[in-house]
Amino acid sequence: MNNRKRGTILIENLMFIILNLLFLTILILFLARQGNGAVVLEQSYAKNIALLIDAGKPVMEIKINMEDAINLAEKNGLKREEIVKINGNIVTVKLSDKGGYSYSFFKNVDATAYPDIPSEKNYIIMINGYK
Amino acid sequence: MILKNKKDKNRKFLHCTLLPKNRRGDKILSAYWFAVLLIVAAGIFAMVYVYYGVPYDVRNVEGHLLINAVADCISYSGRISSGIVSSGKFIQNANFLNQCHLIFNSSEWKDEQYYTEVNFYKIEDINTPLLTIKKGNNNWISQCEIQKTEKKETLVQCSNEIFYSLDDKNNQYLIKILGVVRKSEKNVKM
Repeated sequence: MNNRKRGTILIENLMFIILNLLFLTILILFLARQGNGAVVLEQSYAKNIALLIDAGKPVMEIKINMEDAINLAEKNGLKREEIVKINGNIVTVKLSDKGGYSYSFFKNVDATAYPDIPSEKNYIIMINGYK
Repeated sequence: MILKNKKDKNRKFLHCTLLPKNRRGDKILSAYWFAVLLIVAAGIFAMVYVYYGVPYDVRNVEGHLLINAVADCISYSGRISSGIVSSGKFIQNANFLNQCHLIFNSSEWKDEQYYTEVNFYKIEDINTPLLTIKKGNNNWISQCEIQKTEKKETLVQCSNEIFYSLDDKNNQYLIKILGVVRKSEKNVKM
């Protein structure tokens, strides 16, 4: 009788711990996914690149490590060349099939963006000259 | 005895046992426990939504970059551009900033989202500017006055910088630059 009761307590506690761990794991995964989500990264990189162009001067070549963004884009079936686009004075970063995020810069320069060599997960921003 | 029965009744009512025959899990799977889990999860989801739902506000950095770009244009290596002051005399060229390779409009916005103003003062008199040059949407300047008394994120971000420079006759001038960036919709949760 006594043994049966002890066994019950052990299983109850085990289930309690397992459920708690499961709950915490789901929450941590959710938080990690949110922090590395396409929406957050798109905004962060678009603003970063726009500010770098604003701070840069003609003939500058800026190399940005975009490993997390490139990994996510490739996971979402996008090519590296499609991640960063500069049209006029608007930088657009796209990491999923949905829209992407755009941010404008105020320097009237001709800027181009292209990925680094395949082994490096960088992006290169070239400021070619004033328009 | 009555009290004990009442307690048991309450317990049976509140603890919805999913395993009625075998009551091992009844402590874990009680309605209370689910309520606590739901409240904690809802709280964390709400916090995450609030945290990641707010855009990064980069307008302050952008304002300072704008000021630096303007400063580089009007004064290089400590000398004011010859397009502004020549032989110790200011040239009244209100459109000088158009030569600074700045573009304030974009297809993203209906109106220009930037404004910049440069005031040149003599060292002896820092109240009356000798020359004022401006560029951008001057509708935003009134919001800078409001920002001085009451900080509101939804309004424009105004940045100021002051520096000294010399003209070709080595006269000293104090230059005040104001940089205004709006872009509120992209930087603040409206």
